[in-house]
Amino acid sequence: MGCVWTKGQSRREDPSVIADQTCFSVKDIEALYELFRKLSSSIIDDGFISKEEFQLGLFGNSKKQSLFADRIFDMFDFKHDGVIEFGEFIKSLSIFHPSTPQSEKIAFAFQLYDLRQTNYIGRDEVKEMVMAMLNESDLILSDETVQAIIDKTFEEADLKGDGKIDMEEWKEFATRNPTVLKNLTIPYLKDITTTFPSFVLRSEVEDEIYVFS
Amino acid sequence: MKPICLNAFDIISLSPGFDLSGLFEKPNNQKAEARFTTKNSASAIVSKLEEIAQMERFNVKKKDGLVQLQGIKLGRKGQLAIEAEIFEVTPTFHMVEVKKRAGDTLEYQNFCTKELRPSLKDMIWTWQGEQQQQLPQPL
Repeated sequence: MGCVWTKGQSRREDPSVIADQTCFSVKDIEALYELFRKLSSSIIDDGFISKEEFQLGLFGNSKKQSLFADRIFDMFDFKHDGVIEFGEFIKSLSIFHPSTPQSEKIAFAFQLYDLRQTNYIGRDEVKEMVMAMLNESDLILSDETVQAIIDKTFEEADLKGDGKIDMEEWKEFATRNPTVLKNLTIPYLKDITTTFPSFVLRSEVEDEIYVFS
Repeated sequence: MKPICLNAFDIISLSPGFDLSGLFEKPNNQKAEARFTTKNSASAIVSKLEEIAQMERFNVKKKDGLVQLQGIKLGRKGQLAIEAEIFEVTPTFHMVEVKKRAGDTLEYQNFCTKELRPSLKDMIWTWQGEQQQQLPQPL
């Protein structure tokens, strides 16, 4: 086979184990490992992606704040230890794979938007996210316009009329409006091996790199 | 011409912070898409795009909220093809997403900077990613 792993990660999960839990093939995972290495070593080479390294990778700026990048980071960081490790990275990215079932994307999106983890998406959370999006994109809408948009959305989504969207209502809404899940598919992930060569041939083996066959 | 209606979650999903493709691209990779908002009607936007297309020698194809411009001249990487998709935020407020479909990214960007934006100037409310020098009055 021929995989290259760093010493610090020798206790990391076996790629074929990860592959079984995700939409990625072992080759994909090897390719994604190159990406992970790039991201996790961009500020401190410690084998983990920190929040700053994540921001650097996404925006080209480690200090750029974004509500959404924060939410994604938190979702990727299953253990909530402040860093994204390789296994978490791959399993989370798998949600974005084009072949991942819609139901998984729907569930992920719900948790993503449930900012305060109450098992409901409330009006104030939706407003916060719309405002954040406008801010981050330098787009401007008046308060009345934002209200009107949110009212219309809740009219459609909040079937129980309790002012908040629960998982059941969200499933209905997302199924009827699949465009809301657009950001949860990265078509790119289908061709990952062509972008990041999975087999790295190194003639001078660095001290900390071991080659497993 | 019936544009797609955006709900709150559609808008949220457009946020740059959700766009993980940045992780896979080179840091100085030029974006081949842009968004702007406008108070003009969908048909006014389409007419303007057709006008620009005619001046710049593009063929136009329209379908629902999508306007496709196909360059006639041959560029560095073949003919430039651009797509503009119009979304309704409210009946009097639309968002337009302009994307390169084919051709050289630099040529696309030149087109946007030198032809598209100046021609659309009066129609544009805000252009995504631009620091607003003088904030327009909110609607």
